Amino acid sequence: MRDVAAQDWHAAVLAAREDGYGWFDWLGCVDEIGVADELRVVLSLRRLDDASAPELLLQCRVPRSEPRVDSVRDVFAGAAWHEREAAEEFGLEVVGGDRRRLLLDASVEAPLRKDEVLAARTAGPWPGAKEPGESTEGGASPSRRRTVPPGVPAAEVWGDRDPDGPPPDPAEVAAASTGGRVRRRSR
Amino acid sequence: MRWVDWYGDSSLHVLDVALACCSLEFNAAAPAAAGPAVEPPVDGRTAVVVSGTVTDRLAPAVAAVVDSVRTRQQVAPVVVAYGVCATTGGPYWDSYAVTKGVDVLVPVDVYVPGCPPTPAALREVLDGVSGRAARGATA
Amino acid sequence: MSAPEPVVPVGGPAHGRIRLIEPACTSCMLCVRECPVWCISLDSHTEPDPDVPAGARPRTVNVLDRFEIDWGTCMFCGICVEECPFDALEWDDAHPAPAEGSLDLRHGIAELA
Repeated sequence: MRDVAAQDWHAAVLAAREDGYGWFDWLGCVDEIGVADELRVVLSLRRLDDASAPELLLQCRVPRSEPRVDSVRDVFAGAAWHEREAAEEFGLEVVGGDRRRLLLDASVEAPLRKDEVLAARTAGPWPGAKEPGESTEGGASPSRRRTVPPGVPAAEVWGDRDPDGPPPDPAEVAAASTGGRVRRRSR
Repeated sequence: MRWVDWYGDSSLHVLDVALACCSLEFNAAAPAAAGPAVEPPVDGRTAVVVSGTVTDRLAPAVAAVVDSVRTRQQVAPVVVAYGVCATTGGPYWDSYAVTKGVDVLVPVDVYVPGCPPTPAALREVLDGVSGRAARGATA
Repeated sequence: MSAPEPVVPVGGPAHGRIRLIEPACTSCMLCVRECPVWCISLDSHTEPDPDVPAGARPRTVNVLDRFEIDWGTCMFCGICVEECPFDALEWDDAHPAPAEGSLDLRHGIAELA
């Protein structure tokens, strides 16, 4: 894995191709929220003169708030499709890239960011919210904390939070998708 | 997407809307005598089988195809949702990119559960559609 | 040279459907919560435990009122069967039948037996 500064991305990919890594395999993106406030852009190349040589992975990191990377579709035409996918799934801005949406409806924004909650999981009641001994008609004590399903942040973080309070912390929302439901009182 | 002359005798034409993995079970369900068809006769008996996940991107095309059959045929086709993806969205029910069942788009006559269902389940449904089940004939 | 032995699956019936053994269910909600597609739901209530010996602390038991699997959504992963601590769910050969209405694919305690 070769780490590249974001501003050197295009030059590094071009240099790798000229160095013999002439076959573009894939370009992907990782949301590092919870670890760092960054998106990681990763690209895999292979050598044409030696198919058994290991792949070359190049990666750069861009801030989540301003995720910008240069397009490399002029170096590898096939990268254009992967850049479009990363752009619409992660909200990555690919400078000089193909700006067309690839697959998603215009109303869907960066769904693969980890602080994006699956709306379907919040639309209706979760069958698992009930406790043993409880029926749909009621029976649970009203003061008892309601369980939220996996993938949905606790109500006070995301759904029922104070409208005058600060916006939900993306890292906290992202943590909900891994099953962490207890709000850590960090402030 | 293609028309299949299900019994090879023009008695039932099935539109294979092959969207995902359930389409492999559709292929396994087709009787040995099944053959390709260009189009059914407008007064013929037809069925539309939607096999697999309906993505939001593809939903308009799926709706258009089924609606065109319903418009063209004198007798309404039997629309079959084959597998849970076509029934409710199945394992992808909570996806940001999936239509939660083809009945969001078009009326469905029969829902076949399973992930995937067996090929036999589809054969039985289509035997019922063609009237073969009632007569006791096998495909 | 004789033909190879056919491979016979061992360990239980084909994964046609999942059946509920109602007397074993304690309404613990584990299957409901572990199901990745939320296709299981149940209702229960509590009653005093009739088997408490005289003089002992009163206890309650859960009584299952309703148990439902939506075959229109079930993806046959088997997590519920594995997770049930009381072996109240098991695989079965019979496949749930197709239905004309998707709501008819929701099977209750009687159909899941």
